[in-house]
Amino acid sequence: MISLGTQAGTVESPFTPEQQQRFDAGLDRAIAGYPSERRKAALLAALHLAQDELGWLSEPAMAYVAFRLDVPPVRVREVATFYTMYRLRPVGRHHIGVCNSISCWAMGAEDVLRQCSEILGIRPGETSGDGHFSLEEVACLAACGRAPAVLVNNYAFFENVTADSLKALIRDLREQPGKAMAKGPLPRLPDPHARIESQSAPQATGTLGQPAVTTRAEAGSAEPKR
Amino acid sequence: MTGPKILTADWDKPQSWSLDTYRAGGGYQALAKALKMQPQQIVDEVVKSNLRGRGGAGFPTGMKWNFVRKETSFPKYLVVNADEGEPGTFKDREILLRSPHMFLEGLIIGCYAIECHLTYVYCRGEFRESAMARLEKAIEEARAAGYIGKNILGSGLDVEVHAVYGAGAYICGEETALLESLEGRKGYPRLKPPFPANAGGGLFKQPTAVNNVETLANMPAIVTMGGDEFSRLGLVPKNGGTRLYAVSGHVKKPGVYEAPMGISFKALLDEYCGGMRQGSTLKAIIPGGASSAVMTAAEADWASDFDTLKAKKTMAGSGAVVYLDQSVNMAQALANLMHFFAHESCGQCTPCREGTAWLSRLLDKIVAGKGEKQDVDNVHQIARQMEMKTICALADGAAMPAKSYIEKFRADFDALVRG
Repeated sequence: MISLGTQAGTVESPFTPEQQQRFDAGLDRAIAGYPSERRKAALLAALHLAQDELGWLSEPAMAYVAFRLDVPPVRVREVATFYTMYRLRPVGRHHIGVCNSISCWAMGAEDVLRQCSEILGIRPGETSGDGHFSLEEVACLAACGRAPAVLVNNYAFFENVTADSLKALIRDLREQPGKAMAKGPLPRLPDPHARIESQSAPQATGTLGQPAVTTRAEAGSAEPKR
Repeated sequence: MTGPKILTADWDKPQSWSLDTYRAGGGYQALAKALKMQPQQIVDEVVKSNLRGRGGAGFPTGMKWNFVRKETSFPKYLVVNADEGEPGTFKDREILLRSPHMFLEGLIIGCYAIECHLTYVYCRGEFRESAMARLEKAIEEARAAGYIGKNILGSGLDVEVHAVYGAGAYICGEETALLESLEGRKGYPRLKPPFPANAGGGLFKQPTAVNNVETLANMPAIVTMGGDEFSRLGLVPKNGGTRLYAVSGHVKKPGVYEAPMGISFKALLDEYCGGMRQGSTLKAIIPGGASSAVMTAAEADWASDFDTLKAKKTMAGSGAVVYLDQSVNMAQALANLMHFFAHESCGQCTPCREGTAWLSRLLDKIVAGKGEKQDVDNVHQIARQMEMKTICALADGAAMPAKSYIEKFRADFDALVRG
C-alpha cells in the first residue's frame, strides 16, 4: 500500500529570504482566515503564494507547501493538477490566455488566437524559444460584453481586442526587460488599484458597452514590480 | 434605459465604488435598519420579496435562509459564490468593480439574518488583481467605518469577511464543489443530501447558505422598501425584483443592463441593447448562459423569468443572454460549447466525463465536414443519456444545449454532414 502520510522531518524551502518573508506573511494571513483547526483549508492560497514567488509550481515548491500545511504531498499534487491557473512547468515570461468561449468565439476569438500564433510563432500550449511568450486558449473570463478578451499572466484583462490592439499589446510586452519565467517570478502588475482606477474611470466605462478600455498605456503597465 | 435602478443606481457616478459615493446615495442605512429588526423578520421579508438566486438555479433565497435558520448546529456560515464562469456571464464582476459596498452591505445583512459571524467570498482567481482588489479595498473601508468586524454599529453583531481565491475551475461555481475548494481540496461536487443548508452538508459540515453576489446585492433594497414592494418590481409572479442581464453577442451595445425580472428577450434587445448590429439578423438566443437550451429568433417574445423558461424547457440561469446572428452556424457554436464542457468536466462521474468528451469529438468531426447524418443523431442520443445521471448539473448543462441546438437548428448540422 502506498503511504499517504506526510514526510518526516523538514523540507527545504525553495524561496530566497525575501520571497520567504512574503510567502510566510501571506500564508499566515490565509490560515488566519480559517478556524484554527482548519489550517489545511489554506492549500489553494498557499499554492497561489508559491506560484506568485516562483512563477510556477516546481516539485520542491509543492513538497514545501505540503510540509508547511502538514498535508500529504499527494493531496498537494491533486489540487495543483486540478486547477488550470497553477503552472506545473515554466511558462513564458508573458503568458497570454485567449478566451475562446461562446461570446468571444462569436466575436472573432479564433482570429485573435491565430494572430497571436502568427506574431509569436508558437501554437497554443507552447512557449517561444526565447522564453518571452507562451500562449494558451482559456475558458470564459467573464468579460463577454467586451469580447474578445485576453488575459495576460493570469490576472491582467485586455478587452475588446482588435488586430491592432493585440499587436500593440504584444509589442509592449516584448519590449519590457524580461527573463525567462523559469528563473524569475511571475510578472505582477505594478499597482492593481491604479490599474482599475484607470480602467473604470467614469468616462471609460460609465456607460455600459463602451468601446475598448484597453490602451497602450495600460498594456505597458503590465511591467514587473520587482 | 428604462425601469427602476436598484443594483445599478450608483454605476454612472464618479468613483461609484467608494464608500463616500455609496453613503451619499443612502448606503449602509439599510444595514442600520436591519440591525434593529429581528433576524427572522428579515428572512420573512426576503421570502415575501420573491427573490430567486441569481447564480443560475433560481432557488428562492428566503426559503434557503429558512432552511439554515431551522438548523440547531452552530457555527453557521454564509459563503458567497463569486466564481463567475458560466460562458456569457459577466455581471458579478461588474458589481464588484462598480458597487462593491452594495454587495458588502447585503452580505452583512445576510449574515445577521442567518446568524453567521464568519463569511467567505469565494472568487475566481482571475479577478484577484482587478474586481477583487476593489472588493478587498471596500472591505477595509467598511471595517474602518464599523460595518464589518466587532460590534457592528453598536448592535453587538460580529462579522468577519474573508476573500478566498479559486484557481481556474468552472466546476467550483457548483456550490458543493465550491465548498470542497474552500476547504482546500479539488473541486469535486458532493453527493446530496445532505444539502449545504443542512448540518453535515455545508462548509466544514456546518449549516451553510451559499449565495451569489447579485443575490446578496439586492438585500439593502429589500430591507429598505420591504419584500412586497420589491416583489412587485418583477413582471412575473414569484420572480421578484430587477435582474442584471449580461448581454453579449452581435448586438449594437453589449453590456450589463438592469431590467425588470421577466422582461422579454425582444424588449431587452430592442429597448436596452439598441437591437442587432448593422447587417446582423437575429438567428438564435442563448437565454441563460452556455448551459441553457437555445431559443430561435421566433421565440424572442418569451419572458425571461425562471418559471416561464423552465416551462419552455430551457432556463433563465445566470441571466447571461447571448444574441447570435445569421453568420453563426449552430453546429459550430455547439462544438465550441462542448470543448468548454469537456474541458471543465471534473471527471468524477462517468456519464459526464466520457459523455462530454465523446460529444466534443463527434461535433469536431461534424464541423470538420467528416460527419454523417448518423453522427448528428448520435450526439442527440448521447446527450439524452447523460441527463439526470450525475452528481451535479454539469452533464445536464452540456446535454441541454446539445439536444436543443439539434432540435431547433437541424439544418445547420445537416449542411455540414454527408448523406
